[in-house]
Amino acid sequence: MTNSKRHILNGYGNGQRLLAVLLLITVSLTTSCGGGLQSALNPAGPQSQHISQLWWFMLIVCTVVFVVVLGVTLVLLVKKAQGSPDELPERESAESQRRKAFIVVAATAATIVILGAFLVDSFLVGRGLTAALDRKQGVVIEVTGHQWWWEVRYPDVDASSIFTTANEIHIPVGVPVTFTLKASDVIHSFWVPNLHGKKDLIPGKVSTIWLQADKPGIYRGQCAEYCGHQHAHMALWIFAEPREQFDEWRRNQIQSAVKPASDSEKRGQQVFLTSTCVTCHTINGTSAGANIGPNLTHVASRNTIAAATLPNDRDHLASWVDDSQQIKPGNRMPPNKFRPEEMQALLDYLQSLK
Amino acid sequence: MSTRTAIDVSNLPHHGFDTFDTIWWGNNLLLAIETSMFVLLIATYYYLRQNFNLWPPPLAQLTAPLDPLPDLSFGTANLVLLLLSCGLMFWVDLSARRESRAGAQIGLVICLLIGAIAIVLRSFEFSAVKFRWDSNAYGSIVWFILGMHMFHLITLSCETLLLTIWSWTRPFDMKHRVDITALAVYWYWVVGIWIVLYSVIYLTPRFG
Amino acid sequence: MVERSQNLPVDAYTEADEREIKELERVWACPPGIIGWFTDTDHKAIALRYVVTAFVFFLFGGIEAALMRIQLARPENHFLNPDLYNQVFTVHGTTMMFLFAVPIMTALGVYLVPLMVGARDVAFPRLNNYGYFVYLIGGILLYVSFILNTGPDAGWFAYVPLSGPGYSPGKRVDIWAQMITFTEISALCGAVVVIGTIFKMRAPGMSLHRLPLFVWAQLVTSFMIIFAMPAVMLASSFLASDRLIDTHFFNPAEGGDAILYQHMFWFFGHPEVYIIFIPALGFISSIVTTFARRRIFGYTAMVLSLIATAFLGFGLWVHHMFATPLPQLGQSFFTAASMMIAIPSGVQIFCWIATMWGAKLNIKTPLLFVLGFVAIFVLGGLTGVMLASVPLDLQIHDTFFVVAHLHYVLIGGSVFPLFGAFYYWIPKWTGRMLSERLGHWNFWLMFIGFNLVFFPMHQLGLQGMPRRVYTYLPNGGWGSLNLLASIGALILALGVAVFIVNFLWARRFGLIANANPWNADTLEWSLASPPPDYNFYRIPVVEGSNALWDRSAENPVVVGLSSTKRETLVTSVVDAVPELRYELPGPSIWPLLLALATAETFIVGIFTAWAFAIGAVLTFGVFIGWFFGDPNYENVAAKEPPQSEEPHRAPEVLRAENA
Repeated sequence: MTNSKRHILNGYGNGQRLLAVLLLITVSLTTSCGGGLQSALNPAGPQSQHISQLWWFMLIVCTVVFVVVLGVTLVLLVKKAQGSPDELPERESAESQRRKAFIVVAATAATIVILGAFLVDSFLVGRGLTAALDRKQGVVIEVTGHQWWWEVRYPDVDASSIFTTANEIHIPVGVPVTFTLKASDVIHSFWVPNLHGKKDLIPGKVSTIWLQADKPGIYRGQCAEYCGHQHAHMALWIFAEPREQFDEWRRNQIQSAVKPASDSEKRGQQVFLTSTCVTCHTINGTSAGANIGPNLTHVASRNTIAAATLPNDRDHLASWVDDSQQIKPGNRMPPNKFRPEEMQALLDYLQSLK
Repeated sequence: MSTRTAIDVSNLPHHGFDTFDTIWWGNNLLLAIETSMFVLLIATYYYLRQNFNLWPPPLAQLTAPLDPLPDLSFGTANLVLLLLSCGLMFWVDLSARRESRAGAQIGLVICLLIGAIAIVLRSFEFSAVKFRWDSNAYGSIVWFILGMHMFHLITLSCETLLLTIWSWTRPFDMKHRVDITALAVYWYWVVGIWIVLYSVIYLTPRFG
Repeated sequence: MVERSQNLPVDAYTEADEREIKELERVWACPPGIIGWFTDTDHKAIALRYVVTAFVFFLFGGIEAALMRIQLARPENHFLNPDLYNQVFTVHGTTMMFLFAVPIMTALGVYLVPLMVGARDVAFPRLNNYGYFVYLIGGILLYVSFILNTGPDAGWFAYVPLSGPGYSPGKRVDIWAQMITFTEISALCGAVVVIGTIFKMRAPGMSLHRLPLFVWAQLVTSFMIIFAMPAVMLASSFLASDRLIDTHFFNPAEGGDAILYQHMFWFFGHPEVYIIFIPALGFISSIVTTFARRRIFGYTAMVLSLIATAFLGFGLWVHHMFATPLPQLGQSFFTAASMMIAIPSGVQIFCWIATMWGAKLNIKTPLLFVLGFVAIFVLGGLTGVMLASVPLDLQIHDTFFVVAHLHYVLIGGSVFPLFGAFYYWIPKWTGRMLSERLGHWNFWLMFIGFNLVFFPMHQLGLQGMPRRVYTYLPNGGWGSLNLLASIGALILALGVAVFIVNFLWARRFGLIANANPWNADTLEWSLASPPPDYNFYRIPVVEGSNALWDRSAENPVVVGLSSTKRETLVTSVVDAVPELRYELPGPSIWPLLLALATAETFIVGIFTAWAFAIGAVLTFGVFIGWFFGDPNYENVAAKEPPQSEEPHRAPEVLRAENA
């Protein structure tokens, strides 16, 4: 069996190639690190910050372990003894066996110690994430997951200050925000990586997560539990803004819908109220009060539509209203065949709902 | 030409009782599988119980105040019958070991009848449960448990039938005597599991 | 009773021997033709069927993966619409987990365990046959439905309520649930067969502490199957009954619970991955022993590690559910358990390294794949420890990080050792050596391709890409890593293609393998390649933990088993003391008929509950036949001695042994 020695250079060459390949991959990939949007490694709040630190600690230790194990393996390939494959194996000396036993025990002990460290750090970080804290200054928001959009409700002790919106959440910076999570149909998962880990929304149960944004910014989240056809397109935005800006936004959202001013907008409202739109959507201050689809009272104040899939501008709104099945096939909104003048009026109206 | 030692096995028997025979192991492994399943069913029963304030849930009717707890009559009758049958099956097992064909024949016939009666009683047990399988989660899990155990009553009776026919019509050989002892183990298991399930379904809601 | 006698020739067959061997061949022969294929109970034939079938499903699963990678190579791609993509990823996962991974491990066990323990067949040959047919039918059920565009599309774990009656209309999920039943029955049959064989049919002298580690791995795995499969049976049955007969196991409106499904599924699901992984640990021990030409270091520690992994594997399932609203203290317990399981795996790797340190390494393709395992599985195990941490898991759960992790541990931990096992044992199964040169190409293409596909996915997960998305928006910056992964998939596929080429090439041009081309230590290497139908003419008496290396010049054997009936030796569980001469049933039609009855029950049962009543009657009818019919110990179907066979089926084994 000597032709085996021709195909691989020798044990050393084999190992060297392995190492080279691994290094190449690692280097090329880590240099493509980037993109802070929706990244767990770009923390903007205390929860994601702590998790990120835990991640780096574990990554470094695990990398060391990996390099050691791989290194030892490569070295043993180099150190292999010579001998004919036809000889029967001899037994190792007791001395050598004792030495090896000691090393195996030591390695196992090191493993236990490392795992213990991970366990402790993990437990401490975990406790910090769910610790009760003073939420008097905080905000409570209810999120209900639907196939395939997010219903967002801001409760209040004063009933007239309660309002509902969809897919876009505003929170004040530097203040804890408690999310109460429910699901109306199937399991979804609420996940805004820049701010925190995820929490599942389970029909029949209520889950809670609190998070906080320390920097103003716009953070993208996405449903992280497979929920059917358009799971891929069920995203949301969290706008973290200074308190005054948040309060102003909130005051606006509490208002009923802007009354249509121009003729075109009035015509548009008429189109809305006399077509199938009202079977699913609510616009506060009109007779449209269904809750199957997102609340459209202030739809024009949102940056995106279709659960953060499309920018909220006239063209995209038009294609969505016309035939949303082309964009998100399988979603619950049927195509609408409006005459061109009806469509334009409707768009004028919708775009007036700031 | 060198010689070697050899172990001569030509005088070994073909079958043996209990752990000697592979059938004992196969039988018990299958029972281990079924036991795991019943343990999980019992866990499901108590897991679902957490979702209810009252267990069983109240009956949704305004007329005569019916107790939502399952009636004890049929289930308890079944329990007593099956417990007694174990003694009989023990005797059948002994007959098989002692090569007493008549004892096995008669015993198996009676066991077959007992199995049939148990199945009939079980059918009545379903109606003793005040809910259908599609009423609520309580009904679903109780029907499922009763149904899975009934499945075992049926297969137990069918296996008894086959061995009864064999013991009456074919040679009472070692292999089939071993089969009878395997049946006995299955029989005890079906009864033993029923003791646990009976307690879970009938007793724990009353006293737990 | 057992006697000892002397004066048996060790290195030549007498005329009496030759006559006996001819009789053995006749009695153990497979009946000819298509009937023969359906009725054959020879464990080797059944195992090879399992291998071929499972490998075909592996290729199907790979095609599904390729389709997914094409769709995900660019953002907003339109290669697959969402409905088709969702079916593809569901069928990919289901195929790989249920139709490939578990059956192929069963296959190698069914083939090799009787040979390694010194038996002529498995303990329950007809049950073995039934297990195969049920598996085949389940796989056909899934793929026929997929081709007809009614493939399941709720994910390989089919969470409720998405998979429930309200949100998955039609029969797609019902087909999934019933397919589970078939594969689960098959796995359980395989487990019972393997345990029965290992416990009761070992050669004299092979006490438990002399069992090869491969056999220990199969034993431990089979016990895991016994205790884990009932959970998935219940999960899928509850789901099927919620869908078909309106039960409320998972309906919160009537007291049911969506999380109950997750508990039940993952109580099976986590042990399932160890069921897939632990047999591979057995392959590695066999390969390392042979190619390091050394006994495994720390045998007792290795056995205890296998057992510890199996036990711990049952205590981890909640780590799949950390994002659900479960109490935190309970979750922490599962973090601890999930990290702890790294310890026995670590011990095994340390022992293998200790075995190889300073040994005379014979670097052949099987060992290359083992080295690939070390690199890939250790990385996967480390990301597993990361996932075990609840807070970190909350970020990376259900993202491509998990996809990366699971493929690193499953492909690194099971598929790489499996390919090593192929290169190692295909010479035994077919009589031909595979090409070493193509083997090296196979390995490197797979190794590089695999890492290119899955390493970037760690990054993607951390950058926020969730799982099971049919597309993604361009503004996330995920495009280039996805493209890299898709290119890697091509390379990985090429590696697998090289394997197929190698296999086909070897059928024609491979070196003919003698009994023990690797100079290995376990008993299968004492037989011709491929072994005769009856395996051992004379069952050996085992003298040490490495049967062939510890064999004395005397080479004691067992005599007295019949050559005119299918007989093998049954021995005691712990010390392998001979107890019975066990008669093994020969070719039989009943396993196939039972499989068809099972098929009727569960396939027609998708449409009507009456199928169960009919199925019960059919099953009972088959059992009458099985019980009262002829067990065919003498194989009456094989009336004539077999026609001229290929040369390697002749019993030249004893003459070809070492020194």
